[in-house]
Amino acid sequence: MIKIGGQSLIDRGRSAVFPLVEEIVANLPVHKMIIGTGAGTRARHAYSVGIDLGMPTGVLSVLGTFVSMQNARMIHYLLARQGIPFIEPAQFPQLPLYLSERRAVIFFGMPPYTFWQPNPQIGRIPPHRTDTGAYLVSEVFGARSMIYLKDEDGLYSADPKKDTNAKFIPSVTVGELEELDLEDVVVERSVLEMMKNAQSSRSIMVINGLKEGNLTRALAGEHVGTIIRAD
Amino acid sequence: MDPATTASPDGRHHVQSLLMRESLLDRKVMAATEAPTVAMLPFCHVIKIGGRSIVDGGRRSVYPLVEAIGHALERNKLILGTGGGARSRHVFSIGIDLGLPSGVLAQLAIADALGNAHMLGTLLAPYGVVAIPPEIFGHLLPLFIQAAPGVIFNGDPPFALWEHPPRIGKIPPHRSDAGSFLLAECFGCATLTLVKDVDGLYDRDPKEDPAARFIDEIEIGDLVRRNLPTLPFDRVLLDLLASARQITQLQVINGLKPELLEPALRGEHVGTIVRR
Repeated sequence: MIKIGGQSLIDRGRSAVFPLVEEIVANLPVHKMIIGTGAGTRARHAYSVGIDLGMPTGVLSVLGTFVSMQNARMIHYLLARQGIPFIEPAQFPQLPLYLSERRAVIFFGMPPYTFWQPNPQIGRIPPHRTDTGAYLVSEVFGARSMIYLKDEDGLYSADPKKDTNAKFIPSVTVGELEELDLEDVVVERSVLEMMKNAQSSRSIMVINGLKEGNLTRALAGEHVGTIIRAD
Repeated sequence: MDPATTASPDGRHHVQSLLMRESLLDRKVMAATEAPTVAMLPFCHVIKIGGRSIVDGGRRSVYPLVEAIGHALERNKLILGTGGGARSRHVFSIGIDLGLPSGVLAQLAIADALGNAHMLGTLLAPYGVVAIPPEIFGHLLPLFIQAAPGVIFNGDPPFALWEHPPRIGKIPPHRSDAGSFLLAECFGCATLTLVKDVDGLYDRDPKEDPAARFIDEIEIGDLVRRNLPTLPFDRVLLDLLASARQITQLQVINGLKPELLEPALRGEHVGTIVRR
């Protein structure tokens, strides 16, 4: 299970996406991949306007879904010649067939909660977004790995884009992360919350999708980036 | 390039917005997004009708309640949700035995609640109530509720395969109480009433322990602290209500006393009120 970051990768356009698409294609003979997409800057815009207009979290969730769907469609067209389908939640019963026939599928990362998205504890932004949607697919299908592609090498003690003293954390458990109580984290907090209860998806990897070869190594089971384990 | 779109030195194409370049996981950014929300359907009431507690009882428990709902529809716009009841429990037990994950169980359970929604829909059809398929329910709800005095849906939230893994066991935590709550919260409805076959909340299961004490009113914080062994609704409601912005309370009432329904819709205290 792979999740491609929205703001971190797809919003960069060709420079980030083309090499990544090439690397996905190169790995198709070796690995079956379920590929989810993030939302990114357009979702941030929609959330900003929506919050100003008084939209409840459930409506913001619908808006976020639309943006991650646009991103999924773009990746889908770039992979069209491989015959890889884009599937919506209603088509998930066909997922095993597509994986068996075409070895990969694309879907939008947002979980299909729409108006039923639970409120966050603080603020208005839907707490379960594309990291969570992708994670839950990895959990329910018992995927071999859950790999998040972002534009940083992994988890840091602070946002490395804003704090040059941020320290890289190569490996950590959810419990240790809770103790660190970081102001900012690299994956949605609800993923960490759910990992504690997970039956099959007990570890996730966050890697830098801008560095060629990282995805290939991560798919092969090498430790790239940050590994977060349930325990 | 559109002036609103910036090719930034960080290599990402941004759209100008308050949240541009921000990590949505930064607590300070999250806190800055706190703002009042609009209520979409403040004139509607959400009523969750228990699957096991009411519908599975058949004619004896359902007919009188349907009559009370029919009467309430003369003055109120009602959004009715229902659960899967005994059939969901059965499919859960088979599914757990087969080793299926919670997401699959959640997907399976939707069919049972839908069946119950259609049975109630059939009985309420003479009053103009329509059962709406879940695929179109959320988006078309404002239209349906203008066109009909009431609508009925399977109370389950559309989590299905994306159900959260539960803390204990395999049973999906977000069932039809949670789905009805989340709908009422998002649409800013007037009241949320959970119709069960007990008078409300007790400190123990009143069906197993006749000495169980009735709790007529409680705040969510107290309820969490008391950590009761059994609740007459999905336990996840404790978390959901604690984070609610529009729904400030819910009431559990006894559907075997259908005369309580209309007072509950008027905001009268006729069962257990759980406050945020």
